[in-house]
Amino acid sequence: MAHDHNNNEKVVYIGDSRVRKVQRTNIPQDYSAYPGKTEAFIPNFLLKEWMVGAVVLVGFMVLVMSHPSPLGYPADPTNTSFIPMPDWYFLFLYQFLKYGYVTQSLVMFGAVLVPGVAFGGLLLAPWLDRGKDRRWYKRPVASGIMLLTLVSMIYLTYIAWTHYEHELEKRGIEPEHIERARLIKEGQINAGATMVPEEKVPLVATDEEGYEILNNSTCLTCHGTEIEGSSFAPSLRGIGDKYTADEIHDIIVNGIRTMPAQLDDNLNKGLTEDDLRVLAEWLAKQKAPTE
Amino acid sequence: MSEHTTNHHSAEEHPKGKKREMSRRQFLNYTLGGTGGFLIGIPLVWNLRFAIDPLLQPSASSNYVKTVEESTITSTPTSVKFTISQVDGWYYSEPKMEAWVARGADGQIYALSPTCKHLGCTVNWAPEGHSNEFFCPCHGARYTVDGKELAVASAPLDEYDVQVKDGYVYIGPLKANSRV
Amino acid sequence: MMNKLYNWIDERLDITPLWRDVADHEVPEHVNPAHHFSAFVYCFGGLTFFLVMIQVLSGVFLTMYYVPDIINAYTSVDYLQYKVQFGDIVRGMHHWGASLVIVMMFLHTLRVFFTGAYKAPREMNWVVGVLIFAVILGLGFTGYLLPWDNKALFATKVGIEIASSVPFIGDLIKEFLQGGDIVGAQTLTRFFALHVFILPAALLGLLAVHFIMIRRQGISGPL
Repeated sequence: MAHDHNNNEKVVYIGDSRVRKVQRTNIPQDYSAYPGKTEAFIPNFLLKEWMVGAVVLVGFMVLVMSHPSPLGYPADPTNTSFIPMPDWYFLFLYQFLKYGYVTQSLVMFGAVLVPGVAFGGLLLAPWLDRGKDRRWYKRPVASGIMLLTLVSMIYLTYIAWTHYEHELEKRGIEPEHIERARLIKEGQINAGATMVPEEKVPLVATDEEGYEILNNSTCLTCHGTEIEGSSFAPSLRGIGDKYTADEIHDIIVNGIRTMPAQLDDNLNKGLTEDDLRVLAEWLAKQKAPTE
Repeated sequence: MSEHTTNHHSAEEHPKGKKREMSRRQFLNYTLGGTGGFLIGIPLVWNLRFAIDPLLQPSASSNYVKTVEESTITSTPTSVKFTISQVDGWYYSEPKMEAWVARGADGQIYALSPTCKHLGCTVNWAPEGHSNEFFCPCHGARYTVDGKELAVASAPLDEYDVQVKDGYVYIGPLKANSRV
Repeated sequence: MMNKLYNWIDERLDITPLWRDVADHEVPEHVNPAHHFSAFVYCFGGLTFFLVMIQVLSGVFLTMYYVPDIINAYTSVDYLQYKVQFGDIVRGMHHWGASLVIVMMFLHTLRVFFTGAYKAPREMNWVVGVLIFAVILGLGFTGYLLPWDNKALFATKVGIEIASSVPFIGDLIKEFLQGGDIVGAQTLTRFFALHVFILPAALLGLLAVHFIMIRRQGISGPL
């Protein structure tokens, strides 16, 4: 038993189950080839490192405060006009896989072999580059491959980005997060507001002729089978609060904003001009219930 | 290695009563501590304020909800169900609430919360065997018609603010019982 | 007071060697930016770690408000960014920090590569480092979906399509990542679990190994 312990011992254990004493040598790394050129990790070296950290932190916080992080509109899988973009550090891969010769006949080559070899090469670099020399210019093959990869990654990222910018300009799209930030600033969107579920405005007068005409019209193609609206056409429920019968008739005949004129298409579907008049009057009756 | 002694060792080497000068090492250690505090503190401050924000938000004032007609209220409490619009952070809901509404001896209409002050079960007015009192089925807490505790519970039932307008009873926010 | 407490604990657990080992080792001059300014390239590793710690901190606090659910994810992010005090700062730290971690890690990798520091006996640490690289890219990919806005959704769709083009096991990878037939509710919860539990656990484990190996082997000598 351990009762006869030496009292000079710093740690006194009772009983048998003692923690084994670990002999830590604490011998610092041998940099004896460079005498007098080392310093202690704490506090000397760490202080310098943390000073750099403090400078980076200040710069980082300035960036954070001056650039709010982007947030677009809620994800909508039916949105067809959105240009997908991965985060910037995947752009090079995204662009690489866009090229025809990579994706079609050579999918194996493009999607697997090249990225696989690149990552595998990086992982196994110490065994591929076995020379004794550490200076980059004394191992031209390794450095060359790395530089080539770097240049092509930067190039691909640049191409992908300029293509995206070009596409935005061509289609006249303002990126969602920028648009939303602008609208918030202009006070048009109450950001962070609790979403109160919108109640569906009920249809009224569904026993009238106008409802039957509606179900045979072209309206449903875009505004939904229950005129509840879609991602690109607004709901027609409660449309009577917004327009009079004459205005609605005018919109059907002549179109409005992005909506093309619907006169010919409806006539082709077998409706008459009188039907459209009845339809417009019926739609004008669609008012939200007042409570 | 020998110069790398800890602070308290080098401090003890100085004779007592003599003004100690800060060693270079001590100075470095203090600066290091300060820098470390900066590196940890700056990110932490924002995050902590972010985390405790709900504590510092003013509590939302709830609106009065139109319920039953004033004329239907007697001195016997009746259960009135009503729906409130509740905003909980980003979540909106319309939970159904209940109140025991009665006309007091003073003629004033009042509404009591059905939540038992013992452990939060729901009390009932005068179930079988308990005439003229609120009774909680969980642990047998009892309250008078005004909500005053009779047994088990240690506090009276909470009360809703009530307004009477145009012949209707409007139920508002909860408050402590003012009738007992 | 603190000294007494320290001594009390030290007598029982003998903790001094634990931190003396870290504190007292000597650092050579060639990695010290105070001696040669060009030695700042040796700071990138430490800065990556610092930024990772900021990511952990801001990420932990973000989960106090965030809900990984397709109905509430977007509204909760919107709420925490615009309605909670400093929500824009905390989310900004996580958003910009993510990019900065990748930049720093990139620079650190290039420094190690071009100084040939991965050569014997440090091959294993290089491998661990490349694995950390992959884990951090995974964190970037999974984190991108969480705000559940259009950018998040479509970028993830593209990413999953890329993963599914791997021959033979592509469809399995796709199904594993997606959880269901579409990028939807089941994808979001999966990405959340990966982003918040699995990948960070892997990252912290790998970082520990990375640092222990550095202590064992020391910093590579000057060129």
